Amino acid sequence: MPIAVYRLLVLGLTTLAVAAPLSLVIYQSFLTAPFFDPSAKFGLLAYFFVFNDPDFWQAFWTTIAIAAGMAAIAVPLGALLAFLMVRTDVPGREYLEPLILIPIFVSAVVIAFGYVVAIGPVGIFSTLAKDILGFVPWNLYSLLALIVIAGLTHVPHVYLYSAAALRGLSSDLEEAARVSGANPFRVAFNVSLPMILPAILFAGVLVFFLGFELFGLPLVLGDPQDVLVLSTYLYKLTNKLGVPSYQLMAVVVVAIIAITAPLVFMQRLLLRQAQRYVSVRGKGLKTQPLRLHGWRWFAFGGIMFWLFITVVVPLFGITLRSFVVTWGEGVKLLDVLTLDHYRELTDYPNVIRGIINTLGIGVIGGAVAVACYTAIALAVHRWNSGWTRLVDYLVMVPRAMPGLVAGLALLWVFLFVPFLSPLKSTMVSIWLAYTIVWLAYGMRLVSGTLLQVGPELEEAARTAGANDLRVKRDVTVPLIKYGMLASWLLVFLIFVREYSTGIYLLGPGTEVIGSLLVSLWGTGAIDLVSALSVVNVVMIGVGLAVAVRLGVRLHG
Amino acid sequence: MVELTVKDVALRLGDNEILKGVTVSVPAGQVVALLGPSGSGKTTLLRAIAGLETPYRGSIAIGERTFFDAARGIELPAEERGLGLVFQSYALWPHRTVFDNVAYGLKLRGVSAPEIKTRVEKTLSQIGLGHLAARFPHQLSGGQQQRVAIARALVYEPPVILLDEPLSNLDAKLREEARAWLRTLIVTLGLSAIHVTHDQVEAMAIADRIVLLDSGVIAQEGSPTGLYNEPTTMFSAEFMGSNNRIEGKLVENTGARATIELFGERLSGIGRTKTAIGEKATGIIRIERVRCASSPGPNRLKMQLKAPMYLGERWELVLARENMTVRAYASVPMDPGEYYVEFPSDALWVF
Repeated sequence: MPIAVYRLLVLGLTTLAVAAPLSLVIYQSFLTAPFFDPSAKFGLLAYFFVFNDPDFWQAFWTTIAIAAGMAAIAVPLGALLAFLMVRTDVPGREYLEPLILIPIFVSAVVIAFGYVVAIGPVGIFSTLAKDILGFVPWNLYSLLALIVIAGLTHVPHVYLYSAAALRGLSSDLEEAARVSGANPFRVAFNVSLPMILPAILFAGVLVFFLGFELFGLPLVLGDPQDVLVLSTYLYKLTNKLGVPSYQLMAVVVVAIIAITAPLVFMQRLLLRQAQRYVSVRGKGLKTQPLRLHGWRWFAFGGIMFWLFITVVVPLFGITLRSFVVTWGEGVKLLDVLTLDHYRELTDYPNVIRGIINTLGIGVIGGAVAVACYTAIALAVHRWNSGWTRLVDYLVMVPRAMPGLVAGLALLWVFLFVPFLSPLKSTMVSIWLAYTIVWLAYGMRLVSGTLLQVGPELEEAARTAGANDLRVKRDVTVPLIKYGMLASWLLVFLIFVREYSTGIYLLGPGTEVIGSLLVSLWGTGAIDLVSALSVVNVVMIGVGLAVAVRLGVRLHG
Repeated sequence: MVELTVKDVALRLGDNEILKGVTVSVPAGQVVALLGPSGSGKTTLLRAIAGLETPYRGSIAIGERTFFDAARGIELPAEERGLGLVFQSYALWPHRTVFDNVAYGLKLRGVSAPEIKTRVEKTLSQIGLGHLAARFPHQLSGGQQQRVAIARALVYEPPVILLDEPLSNLDAKLREEARAWLRTLIVTLGLSAIHVTHDQVEAMAIADRIVLLDSGVIAQEGSPTGLYNEPTTMFSAEFMGSNNRIEGKLVENTGARATIELFGERLSGIGRTKTAIGEKATGIIRIERVRCASSPGPNRLKMQLKAPMYLGERWELVLARENMTVRAYASVPMDPGEYYVEFPSDALWVF
C-alpha cells in the first residue's frame, strides 16, 4: 500500500469520526422534532423554545459565574503552587508532585460524592464540627461552595502549565531580585510569575473553558438547591417534556459548542504565544532552588492544607462512607463498620459488568485508542503538506464538545446510521465515544513522542532502500514504543475515570463505573455509590502508582 | 562503472536560496570532497543527491539512470536511488544491534538470510568490527559507531557512497586516524564517494578532487594541490590554508602579474584581478610563505616584530606596521625589533 493511500484512509476516517457527530447535532438542531420522527421538518422552533426558556438563561449565567469564579481561585493558587514546587526548596517536593495531580485523575463525580458524605449537611466532618462548635460553619449546597470546590480541584491544571513555563526560566533572574532584598514571595510576584504570564493566561482560559465542561460537581452539589449549569440543564432536558426532545438538546449542544469552540481556538493561539515567550531553554540552564528559610514550613503547610481540602477530605469521606452502614448525628464509628456494601456490589449484575467493562475499556480500549492516535500521528508525521494543518484543526474539534455532549452526539450517530445500530448496545459505542472525546489529548501525547525521533534515523532507512511505510514500521514505531506505552497508561487513567461521556450511551452491556455512578446517585443508592467510587479510585490509584513507578510523566 | 552527474541544481528551503545552480560530476572510482563554510549548501547538495531534498531546477543522474530532472518532472524517491549515505550524527538505529543495523539494507533487497549473514560479517570485518556484531549502538564508542554507519552504507555495494561530515563528531586525535583509515578503505574497495566537510585539511587528505562551495555556487573546483596552490578567486584563496591579507593600491597589472603599493613600497605578485590601476587591491599570502629577513630587498616591507608565540613545533610571529599586521612562522625564536618581511612574488596573489 503506498503512503498516499494510507494517508487518505486515515484522514478520511478521522474526518468522518469527528464531523459525523457534529454535523448530526447541527442538523438535529434545525428540525422541529427528533430526526427519526416522520413529522420532523426544518425550522427554528427548537431555538425559539430554548432561548425563551428562563431556565436556560439562568443556567447560562450560572455557568459563566462558576467558570469565572473557579478561574479566579485556581489561577493564583496554581501559579503560586507552581512557583513553590519548581523554584523553591519546599520540603518533599519530589513526593508532592503526584499527590498534587490527583484531582486531575480522580473522577469529578467521585470527588463530589466525597464532599457530600464528608461535609454535606450530615457529613462526617460536619457532624464532627457540630459536636465541637455546636453548629456547622459551612453550607455545601450553595453556589459559593460549588465555585470554591470547582476552583480548588482545578488548581493542578494551572499548576501544570505554570510549572512547565517556570522550568524554562533561568534562576539568576530570581537570585538577582533576592540579592536586591526581596523576600521569596516578592520574588514570586515581582519576577517569576510576571515572566510566565502568557502561560498563566493560557491556564486561565483553559480553566474557564473547563468550567463549561463541568458536569459531575454541579450535578451532585447543585441539584439540592436547583442550581443548574448548561451541562446539567442539558441532562435535565431529557426528562423535561416526557418525550425525547432531541431538537431542544441539540440546540443546547450547539449553544455550548458556540462558546467552547472559540475558547479552544483561543487556547491554541495563547499556547503558541506562551511557548514563544520562553526564550531561554534547554541545556546550561541554571535551576538553583530559591531558599525559603523560615518560609519553608509555612509554604509546606499551605500546600498540605490545600491537599487536605481537595484530596483528603473527599477521598477520606467516600472511603469511610463505603465501610459504614449509615452516618449521621450521634453515630459511633465502631458500631456501624461493615463490609456489606462491597459484598452487595456482587448482587448487581450490571455493577459487575460495569467494573469489568471499565477495566476492559481502560486496558484494551486504551490500547486500541493509542493505536488509532498513533495511526493518525504517523499519517501526518514528516508530511510536508498543507493537509497537516487541517489535521491539527480536525483533532481540536472534539475538544470543544464536553464529554456529555459528545456521548449524546455519538448516541444519535448510532441511532441514525442503520448499519451501526447493532453496535449501540456494545462497548464499541463507548470506546468510539471515548476515543473521539480524547482525540486531542491522545494526539498530543503521541505527537510529543514522535517529536523526539531524530529525522536522520528515518532518512537513513530511506537511503538504505525502505519506502515511507516501511520506514514507519521498521524505524519510527519501534523507536516510539516506550512513548506509546506511557500514552497507553495515561489513556487508561482517563478512560477509567471518564463518567460523563458514557451517560447517554448507558444501557445493558455498556455499563461503565463512571456512568453507573451518575445513574445510581440519581436513585439514592449511596451505599453502593460509595463502594463503587472506592473501587474506581483504587483502579486509578494502581494505574497512577504504576505510572509513577515507571517514571511516566503525568502530563503529556 | 558509472558516473554521477549533477547539472545546474538549484534548491530553495523556505525563502532561502540554498543552491543557485551547481554542476558537479563524480567519475567512477573517484572521491570528491564538497568543501565550504557552514551555510554554503554542501550538505543540502548531498541531501538532494540522496533524494532527501527536492531541487526546483536541474537534474541528477547516475550513468543513464535519471534520479531527478526538474524539466522532465522526474523524481525518484530516496529509497529507489540505491545510494549509501553516512550521516553526521551516524543515525544508527538504537533499537537494533550492529548486525541488524548493517543487515537492514540487504533485508530490504530481499537477500536470503544466509547470504545476509556472510555479507554483513564480511563488511564488518573489513571495517574491523567483526567481534561487535551483537552489540547495540549505545555500547560502542564514537569511532566504532562511525565505522558501523559506514558499513551500513557500504554493505549493499552502492555505486556512490555519500558521507556527510562523517568525522566531525570525533575528537581531534581520533579524527586524524579515522581520516587515514577512511581514505585507505575507499581506495582499497575502489569506491566512488562524495565527502562533505568544512575542514579543508580533511578534504585535501581524503579527496581526489575538491569542489569548493560558496553560498550556493561553486567557487572553484580541482585537485587538492590545484586548489591550494592556484586559487582563482579570493574566496578560495582565503578559505584554504591560513593567510595574510595585505591591502594596497594597484599600480601595475599585466594580467599574469600585478603589483600593489603600500607605505610607498611595491609588492609584486600573481595577477588575479580586473581592477583598474589606482584602485584598491588585496594581496593574499599563506602564512608559511612569509619570510623575515634582516635587510631590505625586492618584495620586502619593513615591519616591527612584537612578542613571538611558541606553538610547539615552531614559533608564530606577529609583525606590524601602523594598522597592518602580518603573521609569519619561524623555526627558531627571534628577538622583537625591526625586520624586513619578504612576500615572495610567486606566493602572493593579488585580487
